[in-house]
Amino acid sequence: MTRLLPITPSAAVIVLIISLSSCSVQPCYEETDPLMITELLVSGTGEMAKADSLRVYTYRTADTLRFINEKGVSRFALPLDPGNDESLFLITLNGVTDTAVIWYERRPHLVSPECGYTLFSEIRGLHTTHNIIDTLIIENPTVDLDGQKNLHLFY
Amino acid sequence: MARRTCIFFISLLLSGGNAALSQDTVTFPLHIRAGFDISGPVMKLIDKDLISYGVTGSADINSSVALTAGFRYSSFNSSEVIYDFSSRGLSFTAGADYNFIKANVSQGKYSAGIGLRYGLSFYREEASMIRYTNEWGAGEAVVPPGRHTGHYLEITPGVRTEIFPGVTIGWNLYMRLLISAGAGKDLKPVWMPGYGAGTSGMRTGAEYYVSLSIPYRKIKVYIKPKIQESDEDEDEEGGQPAGTGSSSGTMGFPGRL
Repeated sequence: MTRLLPITPSAAVIVLIISLSSCSVQPCYEETDPLMITELLVSGTGEMAKADSLRVYTYRTADTLRFINEKGVSRFALPLDPGNDESLFLITLNGVTDTAVIWYERRPHLVSPECGYTLFSEIRGLHTTHNIIDTLIIENPTVDLDGQKNLHLFY
Repeated sequence: MARRTCIFFISLLLSGGNAALSQDTVTFPLHIRAGFDISGPVMKLIDKDLISYGVTGSADINSSVALTAGFRYSSFNSSEVIYDFSSRGLSFTAGADYNFIKANVSQGKYSAGIGLRYGLSFYREEASMIRYTNEWGAGEAVVPPGRHTGHYLEITPGVRTEIFPGVTIGWNLYMRLLISAGAGKDLKPVWMPGYGAGTSGMRTGAEYYVSLSIPYRKIKVYIKPKIQESDEDEDEEGGQPAGTGSSSGTMGFPGRL
Protein backbone atom coordinates (compact mmCIF):
# COMPACT_ATOMS: atom_id res chain seq x y z
CA MET A 1 0.00 0.00 0.00
CA THR A 2 2.94 2.32 0.53
CA ARG A 3 3.22 2.16 -3.24
CA LEU A 4 0.41 4.71 -3.28
CA LEU A 5 2.73 7.34 -1.79
CA PRO A 6 4.93 7.91 -4.87
CA ILE A 7 1.82 7.77 -7.05
CA THR A 8 0.33 10.91 -5.59
CA PRO A 9 3.08 13.44 -6.52
CA SER A 10 3.33 12.06 -10.05
CA ALA A 11 -0.43 12.20 -10.29
CA ALA A 12 -0.30 15.84 -9.25
CA VAL A 13 1.98 16.57 -12.20
CA ILE A 14 -0.43 14.83 -14.58
CA VAL A 15 -3.28 16.75 -13.04
CA LEU A 16 -1.44 20.03 -13.55
CA ILE A 17 -0.81 19.21 -17.21
CA ILE A 18 -4.49 18.35 -17.73
CA SER A 19 -5.53 21.55 -16.01
CA LEU A 20 -3.15 23.69 -18.03
CA SER A 21 -4.26 22.17 -21.32
CA SER A 22 -7.85 23.10 -20.49
CA CYS A 23 -6.79 26.74 -20.02
CA SER A 24 -5.28 27.29 -23.46
CA VAL A 25 -6.90 29.95 -25.65
CA GLN A 26 -8.92 28.52 -28.53
CA PRO A 27 -9.73 30.34 -31.78
CA CYS A 28 -13.32 31.05 -32.82
CA TYR A 29 -14.64 28.86 -35.63
CA GLU A 30 -18.35 29.55 -35.20
CA GLU A 31 -20.71 31.89 -37.05
CA THR A 32 -21.45 34.92 -34.89
CA ASP A 33 -23.50 37.18 -37.17
CA PRO A 34 -27.26 36.54 -37.05
CA LEU A 35 -28.97 37.17 -40.40
CA MET A 36 -32.61 37.88 -41.20
CA ILE A 37 -33.54 35.52 -44.04
CA THR A 38 -36.24 36.50 -46.51
CA GLU A 39 -37.79 34.22 -49.10
CA LEU A 40 -39.30 35.56 -52.33
CA LEU A 41 -42.73 34.23 -53.31
CA VAL A 42 -45.15 34.83 -56.16
CA SER A 43 -48.12 36.88 -55.04
CA GLY A 44 -51.37 34.94 -55.46
CA THR A 45 -49.91 31.48 -55.99
CA GLY A 46 -47.40 31.46 -53.12
CA GLU A 47 -44.87 29.65 -55.27
CA MET A 48 -41.21 30.34 -54.87
CA ALA A 49 -40.08 33.24 -57.05
CA LYS A 50 -36.74 34.11 -58.55
CA ALA A 51 -36.04 37.80 -59.03
CA ASP A 52 -34.14 38.80 -62.16
CA SER A 53 -32.22 41.34 -60.11
CA LEU A 54 -32.15 42.34 -56.47
CA ARG A 55 -30.45 45.20 -54.70
CA VAL A 56 -30.75 45.93 -51.00
CA TYR A 57 -29.14 48.95 -49.40
CA THR A 58 -29.69 51.69 -46.83
CA TYR A 59 -28.80 55.34 -46.56
CA ARG A 60 -27.00 56.70 -43.56
CA THR A 61 -26.05 60.26 -42.83
CA ALA A 62 -22.48 59.75 -43.98
CA ASP A 63 -22.69 56.91 -46.47
CA THR A 64 -24.73 54.22 -48.20
CA LEU A 65 -24.51 50.62 -47.07
CA ARG A 66 -24.95 48.13 -49.88
CA PHE A 67 -25.95 44.70 -48.65
CA ILE A 68 -26.99 42.78 -51.76
CA ASN A 69 -26.59 43.26 -55.49
CA GLU A 70 -27.32 39.97 -57.24
CA LYS A 71 -29.22 38.37 -60.10
CA GLY A 72 -31.46 35.29 -60.08
CA VAL A 73 -32.22 35.48 -56.37
CA SER A 74 -34.94 33.46 -54.60
CA ARG A 75 -33.93 34.27 -51.00
CA PHE A 76 -31.59 36.72 -49.32
CA ALA A 77 -30.07 37.32 -45.91
CA LEU A 78 -29.64 40.70 -44.22
CA PRO A 79 -28.01 41.74 -40.95
CA LEU A 80 -30.13 43.89 -38.65
CA ASP A 81 -28.58 46.98 -37.13
CA PRO A 82 -27.29 45.72 -33.73
CA GLY A 83 -27.01 49.30 -32.47
CA ASN A 84 -30.70 50.18 -32.94
CA ASP A 85 -34.14 48.66 -32.46
CA GLU A 86 -35.09 49.31 -36.09
CA SER A 87 -33.50 48.87 -39.49
CA LEU A 88 -34.52 50.53 -42.76
CA PHE A 89 -33.83 48.80 -46.06
CA LEU A 90 -34.34 49.95 -49.64
CA ILE A 91 -35.21 46.89 -51.71
CA THR A 92 -34.95 47.17 -55.48
CA LEU A 93 -36.62 44.18 -57.10
CA ASN A 94 -36.38 43.93 -60.91
CA GLY A 95 -35.60 47.64 -61.05
CA VAL A 96 -38.50 48.81 -58.82
CA THR A 97 -37.68 50.12 -55.34
CA ASP A 98 -39.62 49.70 -52.11
CA THR A 99 -38.76 50.74 -48.56
CA ALA A 100 -39.05 48.30 -45.67
CA VAL A 101 -38.70 49.16 -41.98
CA ILE A 102 -38.20 46.35 -39.44
CA TRP A 103 -38.71 46.84 -35.69
CA TYR A 104 -37.19 44.40 -33.23
CA GLU A 105 -35.90 43.78 -29.72
CA ARG A 106 -32.28 42.78 -29.19
CA ARG A 107 -30.93 40.36 -26.62
CA PRO A 108 -27.33 39.27 -25.99
CA HIS A 109 -26.42 35.64 -26.60
CA LEU A 110 -23.18 33.89 -25.69
CA VAL A 111 -21.95 31.98 -28.74
CA SER A 112 -18.94 30.46 -26.94
CA PRO A 113 -16.16 31.62 -24.64
CA GLU A 114 -13.89 31.80 -27.71
CA CYS A 115 -16.30 33.69 -29.96
CA GLY A 116 -17.90 35.88 -27.30
CA TYR A 117 -21.38 37.36 -27.51
CA THR A 118 -23.67 38.31 -30.34
CA LEU A 119 -27.07 40.02 -30.40
CA PHE A 120 -30.15 38.02 -31.34
CA SER A 121 -33.27 39.93 -32.42
CA GLU A 122 -36.98 39.31 -32.01
CA ILE A 123 -38.93 40.99 -34.82
CA ARG A 124 -41.87 42.93 -33.36
CA GLY A 125 -43.23 44.61 -36.48
CA LEU A 126 -42.56 45.82 -40.01
CA HIS A 127 -43.77 48.30 -42.58
CA THR A 128 -43.24 48.39 -46.33
CA THR A 129 -44.23 50.46 -49.34
CA HIS A 130 -46.03 48.63 -52.17
CA ASN A 131 -44.45 49.67 -55.46
CA ILE A 132 -43.56 46.07 -56.34
CA ILE A 133 -43.90 44.33 -52.98
CA ASP A 134 -47.42 43.01 -52.43
CA THR A 135 -46.94 41.72 -48.87
CA LEU A 136 -44.09 41.27 -46.44
CA ILE A 137 -45.01 38.96 -43.57
CA ILE A 138 -43.20 37.58 -40.52
CA GLU A 139 -42.76 33.83 -40.75
CA ASN A 140 -40.41 33.41 -37.79
CA PRO A 141 -39.67 36.44 -35.60
CA THR A 142 -36.42 35.11 -34.09
CA VAL A 143 -33.28 36.23 -35.91
CA ASP A 144 -30.53 33.99 -34.57
CA LEU A 145 -27.81 31.69 -35.89
CA ASP A 146 -30.10 28.79 -36.85
CA GLY A 147 -30.45 29.91 -40.47
CA GLN A 148 -34.26 29.61 -40.53
CA LYS A 149 -36.27 31.92 -42.81
CA ASN A 150 -37.80 34.91 -41.06
CA LEU A 151 -39.83 36.81 -43.69
CA HIS A 152 -41.94 35.97 -46.75
CA LEU A 153 -41.88 38.63 -49.45
CA PHE A 154 -44.73 38.33 -51.99
CA TYR A 155 -44.48 40.36 -55.21
CA MET B 1 -36.00 -40.58 4.16
CA ALA B 2 -36.69 -38.31 7.15
CA ARG B 3 -33.40 -39.40 8.71
CA ARG B 4 -31.49 -38.62 5.52
CA THR B 5 -33.10 -35.17 5.29
CA CYS B 6 -32.21 -34.43 8.90
CA ILE B 7 -28.59 -35.48 8.41
CA PHE B 8 -28.42 -33.30 5.28
CA PHE B 9 -29.53 -30.17 7.13
CA ILE B 10 -27.15 -30.89 10.02
CA SER B 11 -24.30 -31.22 7.53
CA LEU B 12 -25.30 -27.90 5.97
CA LEU B 13 -25.27 -26.22 9.38
CA LEU B 14 -21.90 -27.72 10.20
CA SER B 15 -20.42 -26.63 6.91
CA GLY B 16 -21.89 -23.11 7.43
CA GLY B 17 -20.41 -23.01 10.91
CA ASN B 18 -17.02 -23.97 9.57
CA ALA B 19 -17.23 -21.16 7.05
CA ALA B 20 -18.02 -18.64 9.77
CA LEU B 21 -15.13 -19.84 11.84
CA SER B 22 -12.76 -19.52 8.92
CA GLN B 23 -13.65 -15.83 8.36
CA ASP B 24 -11.04 -13.27 9.37
CA THR B 25 -12.03 -10.25 11.43
CA VAL B 26 -10.23 -6.92 11.33
CA THR B 27 -10.77 -3.82 13.38
CA PHE B 28 -11.42 -0.86 11.10
CA PRO B 29 -11.27 2.75 12.31
CA LEU B 30 -13.97 5.00 10.87
CA HIS B 31 -12.71 8.55 10.22
CA ILE B 32 -14.00 12.05 9.86
CA ARG B 33 -11.93 14.13 7.44
CA ALA B 34 -11.66 17.82 6.63
CA GLY B 35 -9.52 18.90 3.72
CA PHE B 36 -8.43 21.82 1.58
CA ASP B 37 -7.94 21.78 -2.18
CA ILE B 38 -4.43 23.01 -2.88
CA SER B 39 -4.87 22.89 -6.65
CA GLY B 40 -6.98 26.09 -6.44
CA PRO B 41 -4.21 28.36 -5.10
CA VAL B 42 -1.67 26.66 -7.39
CA MET B 43 -3.83 27.32 -10.43
CA LYS B 44 -4.15 30.97 -9.33
CA LEU B 45 -0.41 31.31 -9.94
CA ILE B 46 -0.88 30.13 -13.51
CA ASP B 47 -4.34 31.39 -14.42
CA LYS B 48 -4.79 34.94 -13.14
CA ASP B 49 -8.44 35.02 -14.23
CA LEU B 50 -9.59 32.36 -11.78
CA ILE B 51 -9.68 32.28 -7.98
CA SER B 52 -10.98 29.01 -6.57
CA TYR B 53 -10.79 27.84 -2.96
CA GLY B 54 -12.41 24.55 -2.00
CA VAL B 55 -12.83 22.64 1.24
CA THR B 56 -14.28 19.20 1.70
CA GLY B 57 -15.41 17.00 4.55
CA SER B 58 -16.22 13.34 4.69
CA ALA B 59 -17.29 10.73 7.22
CA ASP B 60 -16.89 6.97 6.86
CA ILE B 61 -20.13 5.11 7.41
CA ASN B 62 -18.48 1.71 6.92
CA SER B 63 -15.22 0.35 5.60
CA SER B 64 -16.15 1.07 1.97
CA VAL B 65 -18.53 4.01 1.89
CA ALA B 66 -18.03 7.57 3.08
CA LEU B 67 -20.50 10.42 2.95
CA THR B 68 -18.90 13.56 1.60
CA ALA B 69 -19.72 17.23 1.27
CA GLY B 70 -17.81 20.28 0.18
CA PHE B 71 -18.07 23.89 -0.76
CA ARG B 72 -16.03 26.12 -2.98
CA TYR B 73 -15.70 29.84 -3.55
CA SER B 74 -14.83 30.83 -7.09
CA SER B 75 -14.30 34.14 -8.77
CA PHE B 76 -13.62 34.48 -12.49
CA ASN B 77 -12.72 37.63 -14.41
CA SER B 78 -11.95 37.58 -18.11
CA SER B 79 -11.09 40.59 -20.18
CA GLU B 80 -10.98 39.65 -23.85
CA VAL B 81 -10.86 41.83 -26.93
CA ILE B 82 -14.51 41.09 -27.65
CA TYR B 83 -15.97 40.98 -24.13
CA ASP B 84 -15.38 41.51 -20.42
CA PHE B 85 -16.97 38.82 -18.27
CA SER B 86 -17.03 38.23 -14.53
CA SER B 87 -18.73 35.70 -12.30
CA ARG B 88 -18.42 34.75 -8.66
CA GLY B 89 -20.26 32.52 -6.28
CA LEU B 90 -20.39 29.58 -3.92
CA SER B 91 -20.90 25.99 -4.92
CA PHE B 92 -21.89 23.08 -2.69
CA THR B 93 -21.49 19.37 -3.37
CA ALA B 94 -22.85 16.37 -1.49
CA GLY B 95 -22.61 12.68 -2.21
CA ALA B 96 -20.75 9.49 -1.38
CA ASP B 97 -17.36 7.91 -2.05
CA TYR B 98 -16.82 4.19 -2.50
CA ASN B 99 -13.44 2.66 -1.63
CA PHE B 100 -12.48 -0.37 -3.71
CA ILE B 101 -9.64 -1.38 -1.37
CA LYS B 102 -10.59 -4.10 1.11
CA ALA B 103 -10.76 -3.19 4.78
CA ASN B 104 -7.86 -5.43 5.82
CA VAL B 105 -5.60 -3.70 3.26
CA SER B 106 -6.81 -0.11 3.55
CA GLN B 107 -6.94 -0.11 7.37
CA GLY B 108 -8.69 3.25 7.14
CA LYS B 109 -5.51 4.85 5.80
CA TYR B 110 -5.74 4.30 2.06
CA SER B 111 -8.41 4.74 -0.50
CA ALA B 112 -8.74 4.13 -4.21
CA GLY B 113 -12.26 4.56 -5.34
CA ILE B 114 -14.91 6.62 -6.98
CA GLY B 115 -17.36 9.22 -5.78
CA LEU B 116 -20.68 10.52 -7.02
CA ARG B 117 -21.83 13.98 -6.00
CA TYR B 118 -24.58 16.43 -6.72
CA GLY B 119 -23.53 20.04 -7.04
CA LEU B 120 -25.35 23.33 -6.61
CA SER B 121 -23.82 26.63 -7.68
CA PHE B 122 -25.15 29.99 -6.51
CA TYR B 123 -23.51 32.63 -8.62
CA ARG B 124 -23.66 36.10 -10.11
CA GLU B 125 -22.55 36.81 -13.68
CA GLU B 126 -22.09 39.96 -15.70
CA ALA B 127 -20.60 41.01 -19.03
CA SER B 128 -19.71 44.67 -18.55
CA MET B 129 -18.75 45.03 -22.20
CA ILE B 130 -19.54 43.00 -25.29
CA ARG B 131 -18.24 44.19 -28.63
CA TYR B 132 -19.92 43.38 -31.94
CA THR B 133 -19.06 44.02 -35.54
CA ASN B 134 -21.14 43.48 -38.66
CA GLU B 135 -21.93 45.30 -41.92
CA TRP B 136 -23.63 48.10 -39.99
CA GLY B 137 -20.40 48.78 -38.12
CA ALA B 138 -18.97 48.14 -34.66
CA GLY B 139 -20.55 48.83 -31.31
CA GLU B 140 -20.75 47.80 -27.69
CA ALA B 141 -23.45 46.46 -25.40
CA VAL B 142 -23.66 45.02 -21.89
CA VAL B 143 -25.14 42.02 -20.14
CA PRO B 144 -26.43 43.39 -16.82
CA PRO B 145 -25.58 41.55 -13.58
CA GLY B 146 -27.83 38.60 -12.79
CA ARG B 147 -28.02 35.96 -10.06
CA HIS B 148 -28.52 32.33 -11.06
CA THR B 149 -28.49 28.82 -9.60
CA GLY B 150 -26.80 26.01 -11.51
CA HIS B 151 -26.99 22.24 -11.00
CA TYR B 152 -24.49 19.55 -11.93
CA LEU B 153 -23.37 16.00 -11.20
CA GLU B 154 -19.78 15.11 -10.38
CA ILE B 155 -18.08 11.73 -10.80
CA THR B 156 -14.71 11.61 -9.04
CA PRO B 157 -12.32 8.69 -9.25
CA GLY B 158 -9.30 9.21 -7.04
CA VAL B 159 -6.80 7.97 -4.49
CA ARG B 160 -5.95 9.02 -0.96
CA THR B 161 -3.22 7.93 1.41
CA GLU B 162 -2.14 8.75 4.95
CA ILE B 163 1.30 10.38 5.06
CA PHE B 164 1.37 11.03 8.81
CA PRO B 165 -1.03 9.89 11.50
CA GLY B 166 -4.03 12.15 11.08
CA VAL B 167 -2.88 13.72 7.78
CA THR B 168 -3.87 12.39 4.39
CA ILE B 169 -3.21 13.59 0.86
CA GLY B 170 -5.04 12.58 -2.24
CA TRP B 171 -6.19 13.64 -5.64
CA ASN B 172 -9.42 13.30 -7.52
CA LEU B 173 -10.00 13.48 -11.21
CA TYR B 174 -13.46 14.85 -11.80
CA MET B 175 -16.00 14.64 -14.57
CA ARG B 176 -18.78 17.16 -14.12
CA LEU B 177 -22.02 16.84 -16.05
CA LEU B 178 -24.08 19.99 -16.35
CA ILE B 179 -27.76 19.60 -15.55
CA SER B 180 -28.63 23.29 -15.81
CA ALA B 181 -26.68 26.55 -15.69
CA GLY B 182 -29.88 28.30 -14.61
CA ALA B 183 -29.27 31.34 -16.80
CA GLY B 184 -31.30 30.41 -19.89
CA LYS B 185 -30.01 29.38 -23.29
CA ASP B 186 -28.76 32.86 -24.23
CA LEU B 187 -26.70 33.75 -21.19
CA LYS B 188 -24.90 30.54 -20.32
CA PRO B 189 -22.00 31.60 -18.10
CA VAL B 190 -18.52 31.74 -19.58
CA TRP B 191 -17.52 30.36 -16.16
CA MET B 192 -19.98 28.87 -13.67
CA PRO B 193 -18.44 28.77 -10.17
CA GLY B 194 -17.90 25.20 -9.02
CA TYR B 195 -18.50 23.78 -12.49
CA GLY B 196 -16.43 25.56 -15.15
CA ALA B 197 -17.40 26.76 -18.61
CA GLY B 198 -21.21 26.80 -18.67
CA THR B 199 -21.29 26.36 -22.45
CA SER B 200 -19.91 22.83 -22.11
CA GLY B 201 -22.11 19.92 -21.02
CA MET B 202 -19.15 18.10 -19.49
CA ARG B 203 -16.03 19.33 -17.74
CA THR B 204 -13.00 17.35 -16.64
CA GLY B 205 -10.17 18.28 -14.34
CA ALA B 206 -8.58 17.43 -11.05
CA GLU B 207 -8.35 18.46 -7.43
CA TYR B 208 -5.58 17.78 -4.93
CA TYR B 209 -6.57 17.65 -1.29
CA VAL B 210 -4.66 17.75 1.97
CA SER B 211 -6.92 16.54 4.77
CA LEU B 212 -6.92 16.12 8.51
CA SER B 213 -8.34 12.81 9.59
CA ILE B 214 -9.76 11.91 13.00
CA PRO B 215 -10.92 8.40 13.94
CA TYR B 216 -14.30 8.52 15.66
CA ARG B 217 -15.30 4.86 16.00
CA LYS B 218 -13.94 1.38 15.44
CA ILE B 219 -15.88 -1.38 13.79
CA LYS B 220 -15.18 -5.03 13.20
CA VAL B 221 -15.15 -6.05 9.57
CA TYR B 222 -15.38 -9.67 8.49
CA ILE B 223 -13.07 -10.58 5.64
CA LYS B 224 -14.17 -13.58 3.63
CA PRO B 225 -11.23 -15.88 2.93
CA LYS B 226 -10.52 -16.71 -0.67
CA ILE B 227 -11.99 -20.08 -1.64
CA GLN B 228 -9.42 -22.19 -3.39
CA GLU B 229 -10.63 -25.19 -5.35
CA SER B 230 -8.55 -28.29 -4.63
CA ASP B 231 -7.00 -30.29 -7.41
CA GLU B 232 -8.88 -33.30 -6.12
CA ASP B 233 -12.27 -31.60 -6.75
CA GLU B 234 -11.21 -30.50 -10.20
CA ASP B 235 -10.14 -34.03 -11.05
CA GLU B 236 -13.43 -35.44 -9.85
CA GLU B 237 -15.50 -32.92 -11.84
CA GLY B 238 -13.32 -33.23 -14.87
CA GLY B 239 -13.45 -37.02 -14.84
CA GLN B 240 -17.21 -37.19 -14.85
CA PRO B 241 -19.17 -37.06 -18.08
CA ALA B 242 -21.79 -34.31 -18.36
CA GLY B 243 -25.26 -35.23 -17.17
CA THR B 244 -24.13 -38.17 -15.05
CA GLY B 245 -23.62 -36.44 -11.71
CA SER B 246 -23.96 -38.51 -8.58
CA SER B 247 -27.56 -39.00 -7.61
CA SER B 248 -27.79 -42.01 -5.40
CA GLY B 249 -28.49 -41.25 -1.77
CA THR B 250 -26.38 -38.07 -1.54
CA MET B 251 -28.84 -35.61 -3.10
CA GLY B 252 -26.30 -34.23 -5.53
CA PHE B 253 -23.51 -33.51 -2.97
CA PRO B 254 -20.66 -35.87 -3.77
CA GLY B 255 -18.33 -36.51 -0.91
CA ARG B 256 -20.90 -35.75 1.77
CA LEU B 257 -22.32 -38.51 4.01
